[in-house]
Amino acid sequence: MTRMKRRTFLKTAGAAAGLAATGPFFHVRPARADKGELVVVSWGGDYDQALRDLVFPAFEKATGYTVKLDAPPETAKVKAMVQSGNVSWDVIMTDIPAVLTLVKDNLLEPLDYGALDKAKLDRIPKELQRSHALGQRIYSFNIVYNTNSYPAGKAPRSWADVWNGAAFPGGRTFNFQGGIEPQLEVALLADGVPIDKLYPIDVERAWKMYDKLRPLVSKWYTSHAQAIQLLGAGEAAVGCTIGPRGIAAKHGGAPIGVEYNQGKLASDNWCIVKGARNKKIAMEYINFAIDPKAQAAIAKRVPYGPSNGGAYEFLSAAEAADLNTSPQNIKEQFWQNVEWWSTPGPDGKTPRETQAERFATWMLKG
Amino acid sequence: MTEPRRGGLGLWRRGRRVWRPREGLLVLPALVFYILVYLYPLTRLLAWSFFDPGPTLKFYGALLAEPAYLKALSNTLEISVAATVLSLVLGYPLAYLMATSGARARSLLMALILIPFWTSILVRSFAWIVILGNNGIVNRTLLSLGLVSRPAKLLFDMTGVQIGMVHVLLPFMVFPLYGVMSRIDPNLLRVARSLGAPPRRAFAKVFLPLSLPGVAAGCVLVFLLAIGFYVTPALLGGAGEITLATMIDMMVNTLLNWGFAATLGVVLLAVVGVIFVLFSRLLGLHRLTAVGEEGAR
Repeated sequence: MTRMKRRTFLKTAGAAAGLAATGPFFHVRPARADKGELVVVSWGGDYDQALRDLVFPAFEKATGYTVKLDAPPETAKVKAMVQSGNVSWDVIMTDIPAVLTLVKDNLLEPLDYGALDKAKLDRIPKELQRSHALGQRIYSFNIVYNTNSYPAGKAPRSWADVWNGAAFPGGRTFNFQGGIEPQLEVALLADGVPIDKLYPIDVERAWKMYDKLRPLVSKWYTSHAQAIQLLGAGEAAVGCTIGPRGIAAKHGGAPIGVEYNQGKLASDNWCIVKGARNKKIAMEYINFAIDPKAQAAIAKRVPYGPSNGGAYEFLSAAEAADLNTSPQNIKEQFWQNVEWWSTPGPDGKTPRETQAERFATWMLKG
Repeated sequence: MTEPRRGGLGLWRRGRRVWRPREGLLVLPALVFYILVYLYPLTRLLAWSFFDPGPTLKFYGALLAEPAYLKALSNTLEISVAATVLSLVLGYPLAYLMATSGARARSLLMALILIPFWTSILVRSFAWIVILGNNGIVNRTLLSLGLVSRPAKLLFDMTGVQIGMVHVLLPFMVFPLYGVMSRIDPNLLRVARSLGAPPRRAFAKVFLPLSLPGVAAGCVLVFLLAIGFYVTPALLGGAGEITLATMIDMMVNTLLNWGFAATLGVVLLAVVGVIFVLFSRLLGLHRLTAVGEEGAR
């Protein structure tokens, strides 16, 4: 997620984006990790500030290392960095689609789980503990709507409602580009497929639902920031975007509501870049970041779900109600099945690649 | 006019004496810089489209096999041509006014054109969303005047893209035009009038032809910039305005398919090259490189 923000960095470059990422001639920033310094790369914004305030000080005090924060961990930059043999980043936080791409191209180090506290790991869902990535903050694709567009209590509560333009009028906004795959699971839920029978995805059935969605969409958004802006301004009445971003906008006074029912859960994860200089110290840093108390403190400030379930022992019921991993919200949602999206088909391409390409060509044929 | 210059490369054309090796060294730093940060990466980029990792034409095959990519190319060309024509239609009278008005009015117009020119393209594109949206200033005015019964669709289609792009590109049209027009001798128009030509005819027969080099320079500049536009079509356009730049971004950043991204880049480069050659054949490359001097005659 937060893809939009990453995106804006490259937007200005246009076609030159390809050039800018060319080989070893463009060293992005002189953020070199010298001895005694750990370079952590995240997506910027409030979450980074929270890390800076709530995680880094304890880590720095315990280890004597200083943390340098950089942004954003574009997969293309990681690739350029590893290929040029000049790795200046240690730890990056990124989503599973990016992790899969990076693992496929052998651009990440495996994580040493033995270096992490077992008590902490026990409270983190197993699907978030991968060989090359450990879940930190949970985002989710949810029904997000403009509260002025629907009378109280009459907002869409399911994806079928979102697909129902007659009963729930107003423009829709769904993602296109920004590294986010088409919302095939959501389309199947709208067509009545049970939430526990989504995988393996019936691709053709999902695309038929996308054909039905097309005329309802007033704007295919390119970033989640844009989606929230469109929904807050009433340019779109309802859409599929990151629920926690909707909650943050709601807290900021925007006329936005979030429906967690039938949401798709996914994670931003800690990874270590291939060839990073401080692998050991990087694991130690991760151990601090997954601390339940630290995660609870972060969630109070930035409303993403903590990956460590223990965090809810440090949060009030009201605070938990707005978070997607709280006990009452998490059971209405489903985890995105990353294995389905990442298992190559007979042509050697993963569904993620195939569906992203299909999405682009589907859009152009419309 | 004793020595007509036919080509932009006067360095050689006017005789060997002009090319003095020691002075030629002056361009060396620029040349080295250009080769290092432009030609070399560009060549590598071209190479990517032909290797995976051994020599292959599969990227070009994939390109031809999928008509959607050609649709993206035709979208790109359509948007760029429309933006160029609109910029010319809006920019020509503006440049004319600047070239023919007094110093004070001219500097005011110049300032009006330059101020938005200095604002970030991202900010400007987002500002248009606020202005042109369903609840934006334009639609609220139209609604309150009763001119429309429901908000007019100004965003997320070709209308929005063109408004946003022409706003950004207009200065690139106006300045070459103004540069040429300001050098046209006003006496020529007076002569035409004194010989009996009505104002419209004097304009059409004297001013317009003399201003054509500016038109050519402005159009090439605007078109070449428009064809690589990314932000504005992505923010203000809809599904019908997906451009090749958007597809390249997707290949580079989402799919990490750099070979195919390079292929799309090569296609874009080739199209730009062909158009540039056509333009220089039709209008003469020297007009683009020697804009001021042409107009002066």
